[in-house]
Amino acid sequence: MPTAPGLYTIRIKGRVGATALSSFPAMASEMSGSETVLTGLLEDQSALFGVLAQIEALGLELLELRLIPARSTARESSYGHPSTGM
Amino acid sequence: MTQVTGRDASMTSLQKGGSTDASVARGLLDREDLLRLLDRALAKRVTVISASPGSGKTSLLRAWAERSTDRRRVVFVSVDRDEQNAERFWRTVLEANRRPEHSLDPETQRELNAALDGDQLVARVVSQVAEQPEPVVLIIDDLHELKSADALAQLERLLATLPSSVRAVLSSRRDPPIRLHQLRLADEIAEIRAGDLRFTERETRQLLAASEITLSDAGVAALHQRTEGWAAGLRLAVISLSGHPDPERFVAEFSGTDRAVGEYLVAEMLERQPAEVQSMLLRTSLVDLLNSELADLLAGRSGSEQLLLELEDANAFVVSLDAQRTWFRYHQLLGDFLRLELRRTLADEVPDLHRRAARWFADHGFVVEAVRHTLAAGDRPDAARLVAEHSFKWVLDGQAGTIGAVLQAFPEGASADHPDLALAQAANELNQGRLEEAAAQLALAESQARNAPPARRRRLAVAIASLRLAMARRSGQFSEVIEQVNQLDASIADNPSDPISMSSELRGVALLNLGIVETWSGRLADAERHLSEGATLAHTIGRPFLEVACRAHLGFPSRLVSVAAARERGLHAIALAEQHGLEDRPILARAFGAVAGMAIWMGEFEEGERWLRRAWEVGQAHVEPAPALLLHLVTGMLHAGRGQQQSALEEFAAAEHSRSLLTGVHALAPRIAGRLATTQTRLGMLDEARATLGGFSGPHERMGAIYNARAVISMAEGDPAAAVDVLREVRDIPPVGPAFTLVEAHLLAGTAHLHLGDRSAAAGAAEAALAAAEPDRLIFPFAMTEAAELLDALPRHETSHGALRADILDLLRGADATSTDRQRLTQQDELSPSELRVLRYLPTNLTRPEIARELDVSANTVKTHIRSIYAKLGARDRSSAVRRARELRLLSASRS
Repeated sequence: MPTAPGLYTIRIKGRVGATALSSFPAMASEMSGSETVLTGLLEDQSALFGVLAQIEALGLELLELRLIPARSTARESSYGHPSTGM
Repeated sequence: MTQVTGRDASMTSLQKGGSTDASVARGLLDREDLLRLLDRALAKRVTVISASPGSGKTSLLRAWAERSTDRRRVVFVSVDRDEQNAERFWRTVLEANRRPEHSLDPETQRELNAALDGDQLVARVVSQVAEQPEPVVLIIDDLHELKSADALAQLERLLATLPSSVRAVLSSRRDPPIRLHQLRLADEIAEIRAGDLRFTERETRQLLAASEITLSDAGVAALHQRTEGWAAGLRLAVISLSGHPDPERFVAEFSGTDRAVGEYLVAEMLERQPAEVQSMLLRTSLVDLLNSELADLLAGRSGSEQLLLELEDANAFVVSLDAQRTWFRYHQLLGDFLRLELRRTLADEVPDLHRRAARWFADHGFVVEAVRHTLAAGDRPDAARLVAEHSFKWVLDGQAGTIGAVLQAFPEGASADHPDLALAQAANELNQGRLEEAAAQLALAESQARNAPPARRRRLAVAIASLRLAMARRSGQFSEVIEQVNQLDASIADNPSDPISMSSELRGVALLNLGIVETWSGRLADAERHLSEGATLAHTIGRPFLEVACRAHLGFPSRLVSVAAARERGLHAIALAEQHGLEDRPILARAFGAVAGMAIWMGEFEEGERWLRRAWEVGQAHVEPAPALLLHLVTGMLHAGRGQQQSALEEFAAAEHSRSLLTGVHALAPRIAGRLATTQTRLGMLDEARATLGGFSGPHERMGAIYNARAVISMAEGDPAAAVDVLREVRDIPPVGPAFTLVEAHLLAGTAHLHLGDRSAAAGAAEAALAAAEPDRLIFPFAMTEAAELLDALPRHETSHGALRADILDLLRGADATSTDRQRLTQQDELSPSELRVLRYLPTNLTRPEIARELDVSANTVKTHIRSIYAKLGARDRSSAVRRARELRLLSASRS
């Protein structure tokens, strides 16, 4: 199982408001049509499952989960700090 | 009905004890189709309900459970949030099955907190369920919260072993990680999934109608479409719609937004609540369970109870956990949103709210919750202190596992900064038998304690002393134990301001440890005094585990306690343990071992073997050196008594190894060495036998077993005279208490005299052996020596111990002196003590008047007794009475 940090995008049905978003401090959000897209650098699988569990707990509908492939040459510099989202 | 009429409805249901038609009272829609679906599912042994939060799983189960209690017994278990403790989970199941209305009462919880492991608890669940007269339906709700792999594996086994009349319903957000393929192959599984739980449009309409909400057909359709039949969404919508001035507009706005359904509706619902309700909801959301008192405390206002009842009646995601409706929790979805909102809008208050909750939980005995909230408030030192204060009580109540569970809430390495945590860690390590780790944590605590303020330092010193005591006891360091006890005693005496319970408990623990070490080091009179006092104290302060632990060590004979009495005490300790559900504790190994040992001394090998088996069962996992030594020694005696010298040798060697792990001198050390050397001699290992005894020294009165073994070696060397000589050391000392070594010494001497051709001295020794053996019925030494030949040398008419002699010859001829016959007797009429006295004369040639004269009673009395004896034994005449009495082992005097 990969343990290196990865950049993930998660698509959720509907517009997620400030209350629910506050439970994803490591992710940045943007609207895409009537969907919410969360993007963030997640430390490892356990961080990822933490986010998924939170989506489940809040009754949000998960539409898509994607790992953005990293370009090995620029992995360090291009993702920024997880807590700032991007 | 909705929350508009909720107040009245709740009052009605409360006045009727909460047992009214709850589905109406709580504004729930009876989803007949769904209830029938579940009814049908229950034809199968296991039903899995798997759907995302808010799908209406719990509502369905509760509605179904309330309906069907008449026909079957429904056991409803909700898994606590993030439950990682298998034992706690199974205890919840046990308690739910027992008395559902008291499931949260701390008093009841304490009763249940015996330190059984998960497997033992599962076994209890199975037997408990099997005992129910009516069919049982075991419902486990929120199974996704069960995070213990052990518990899940145990659940898997439970499902496979449940009686076929039992039904299990597992409800979870996700498909449970349990292998169900066996049941699936047997077509014994039913599944209910999100699609089944979804509200149909017709049900949506019924729900609205039941809540007295008028909405156009288009509005109903739009609402149904927007929520996709999601139960939580619909219920939230109903709350907002009730009393809404313009329901159509609400639905239109809701349908027009693209906000996530749950969040939108929670926000709407909250906004429509009065400010005080909003405030209460937010501030109480950070606890997993609450009652009105705690809710008032957190909300900073009174009257929370009414709000909670109303919210439950409106089915607004507040669930009561007991029949009296005193405990509540929020539906997890609502709870999660409320907590997020609380942190977002009232972040400053959060630590203080955690503190208040922690204080309340601590005051009411919910220590694990208290620790959790103290940590959440960021007060790690306070959390550490809470753990330290309670870990002692957990040890006292035999719930050592709880300490480990609470410690998990702390980050790794936290004990480096907190003496209290280091202490709890040390107790935890000690319980698991990791002495070095325990010592390391204790040393850490000690070095930290030096810098603590004086009052705290004293408390720490007491806790450290009590742990050192337990450690010293474990490794048998007598002087160290005494030192720690004195330190504890002084500290109790110096500070009368201590809470009485604390000092009583400390005193109880000190007495127990002291008594144990005194037992092992042979100071039996002191042990007797301390253990009795400890047991009485434990009984007074309501610490059954401590009482059982004290009594488990009282089953050893001494100059004051006969073998029979010791055996009775051992049995009493076991009975007491069984009464409190503590019979599986390792501490009971001592009682089982002692009872087994006494049975074997009395020649009842099968009985002894039975108790030994139980001793090894409870003692195997975490056996300490001292009890392990006892069990090996007794097991070796059993083998030796049956002539299995090779197995006996292994056990005695193992006993010797356990002894070597103890720092202090163990009272049984000479017996172990003696038995080992004797067995080695029997197996022709003379050099090894000499080496075993070589250099063994000790106080003369404790060396009996060693002298006996030397005599055995001398005989094997062909020097019976030397044997007679060395045995004089034992035979010339008048016995104090049971004559364990003396009987053997007489027998060995008798055999030596036979070899020397002195039949008269041999007969004298045999008679002396019988005389010494009689009071405690010490038959075992006869099995260990060449007693048959010797007893033959002693003509029957020359002994005044004819009955005992006959019993012994029975045993030596292969009949086991077990108590099976005795047990048969207890079912019959038991002979009275005076009848037993008369009985003893029946094998003699004395006439009735002569017996009367001997007993100093009238001839008529003797006649009456004899008639009664005949009747009770089913005998026709004197000789058949004697025969029957022999079979029943009634014909040898017992000291007790």
